[in-house]
Amino acid sequence: MSDVQLRENPDVQQRVGRAPKKTHIPPAEKRPPGLWAAAWKKFMRNPFAVVGLIVLLCFIFAALFAKWITPFDPNRIDMLNANLPPGSGEHLLGTDELGRDIFARLLYSSQVSLLVGFGVALVSVVIGTLIGAVSGYFGGWVDACCMRLVDVMNSIPLLFLNILILAIFGSEFIYMILILAFTSWMGVARLVRGTFLQLREMQYVEAARAIGVSDWGIITRHLIRNATAPIIVNATLMVGTAILSESALSYLGLGVQAPQTSWGLMLSNAQEFMLIDPLQALYPGLCILIVVLAVNFIGDGVRDALDPRKKMTIPPRRLAKWRSAYSKSKI
Amino acid sequence: MTEYLIRRLLQSLLVLFLITVVTFALIHAAPGGPMQIFLAPGLSQEAAKIQAHNMGLDQPLPIQYLRWLGGLLRGDLGYTFKNHLPVGEILWPTVWNTMVLMGTAWFLSLLVAIPWGIYNSTREYGFSDQLASILSYLGFAMPTFWFGIILQEFFALKLNLLPLSDMWTMGREGEIGDLILHLILPVTVLTLGFLAAYVKYSRSSMLEVLQQDYIRTARAKGLRERRVIFRHALRNALIPIITIIGLDLPYLVAGAALTESVFNWPGMGRLFVDMAVAREYSVLMAITLITAVIVIIGNLLADILYVLVDPRVQLGRKGGQSA
Repeated sequence: MSDVQLRENPDVQQRVGRAPKKTHIPPAEKRPPGLWAAAWKKFMRNPFAVVGLIVLLCFIFAALFAKWITPFDPNRIDMLNANLPPGSGEHLLGTDELGRDIFARLLYSSQVSLLVGFGVALVSVVIGTLIGAVSGYFGGWVDACCMRLVDVMNSIPLLFLNILILAIFGSEFIYMILILAFTSWMGVARLVRGTFLQLREMQYVEAARAIGVSDWGIITRHLIRNATAPIIVNATLMVGTAILSESALSYLGLGVQAPQTSWGLMLSNAQEFMLIDPLQALYPGLCILIVVLAVNFIGDGVRDALDPRKKMTIPPRRLAKWRSAYSKSKI
Repeated sequence: MTEYLIRRLLQSLLVLFLITVVTFALIHAAPGGPMQIFLAPGLSQEAAKIQAHNMGLDQPLPIQYLRWLGGLLRGDLGYTFKNHLPVGEILWPTVWNTMVLMGTAWFLSLLVAIPWGIYNSTREYGFSDQLASILSYLGFAMPTFWFGIILQEFFALKLNLLPLSDMWTMGREGEIGDLILHLILPVTVLTLGFLAAYVKYSRSSMLEVLQQDYIRTARAKGLRERRVIFRHALRNALIPIITIIGLDLPYLVAGAALTESVFNWPGMGRLFVDMAVAREYSVLMAITLITAVIVIIGNLLADILYVLVDPRVQLGRKGGQSA
């Protein structure tokens, strides 16, 4: 109850029975930006992150509107126009050994890759957060069980685990997302568990418990919110990892299957025909590289933006240059 | 220390046991189970049944599991379903081939990465540091198999300098020069992948140490910079590097699956992929187990080395840092 509040409230003034004094009231200071607004601002000042975001948006756009961008069907076989070089006629990047338009195939592949990337990140974050939250909050034998499970999953190399499960359950598209998610939640679980172990000793959690908030309420309302930042960073980076895993599995012949296209599948195809058309192997790999780079830049940008300890990243040499150019103080 | 080690060892054994259960359960959870492989067209129901009986697949699951585990303890990894070959006979040569490939790449990358990381930490944001940073971004984002294919196209097909794939040229098996020629491309691919991570780790771990007070003290004492870096900083900076390398062991084995497939290297990773396509579950189980054992040993070794390198770490004691 500050003085300002009393003055501003006419009700109080009347009750006190005092004429409002004509004092200068300083205009209310602009509200400082919230956590997310500040993070967004910081993110937008990181050139790499912004470029990454733009590139990713371009790929999402291409994936969504593939049908309208290219007139070609990615699966139409046209043996008369097989193995055309790039830039011949209407085929922007030429055609493959069956006369299918490479550019169209790239576009439709981006649908698969992006869907897998975001789908896996989403599902695995949900699984990881749930398991990590339960494990970190309840501790004891629940924690021990969950962590042994994480140990088991981590003891088998990720790629092997993926191959094993895909070989067993087949590689239908939705399965593939679920399987990849099932094998990549451990990082998030560890992270959430660690944060929860720290946070559950906090006084506000004790206070919440004292006023009778349920376990579930404490987890969702008080703990997960404080773990959001690292979870988001982890999820962003996981998109890139998932895209790489999908392409690797498809390359090995265990992922996306024939009528559908994917960058990994295109690469395994291109390797077979690399004597005839060496350029074919270039495009899908470049696409993967660019998308994953973009996602990783975004992830780094988000991490820096959400880390309150991290100020703008300026290399010391550039800082020294600015200082000598703009600062009047002589150090 | 011993007490801690014993506890860790028991924990590892438990994890290993769980892994056998999980892989066994997974394989028998497959639609149709491992039986599916016999159901080739033309095979009558009775014939399939007889074969299943011969392989012991008609027994209840727990008994099958115990049999398999018993065989495992005696060093018997089982037989392949299709040709009834002993799994061990297929597996062990590929393990050796993988070790040749991965060991070379790993050793080379450590040899380059640690000195490079140290150098970069002393010249932060210099040219070499920026280069390493670009390299690590590329290394993390690039599909390794794609890099392999591009190298093949350029060095093997276009320039005709190096062999395209495989481990030996026909008729020259066992010649070390031939092996080295075949190693160059896959080792390059793998080394780049390792380098990307290790340079970054060694740099950041050095940077962290270089900020410590005792480094300032050492410099204030008037020690030469070289002595400060190698004698005072490096020793402590090595600790996290060792841990990370130990934890990376699984990728040493599994990362090879892709590179081996690209270069047709007769290693364990490629065998795993081939057998997954052919659904040879007994081989898959064996390889999964072997890699799991390697991973667990790697983690244990990392822990032990951690103690040996850093006397401050006292494992398993209250108040000490536990890993």
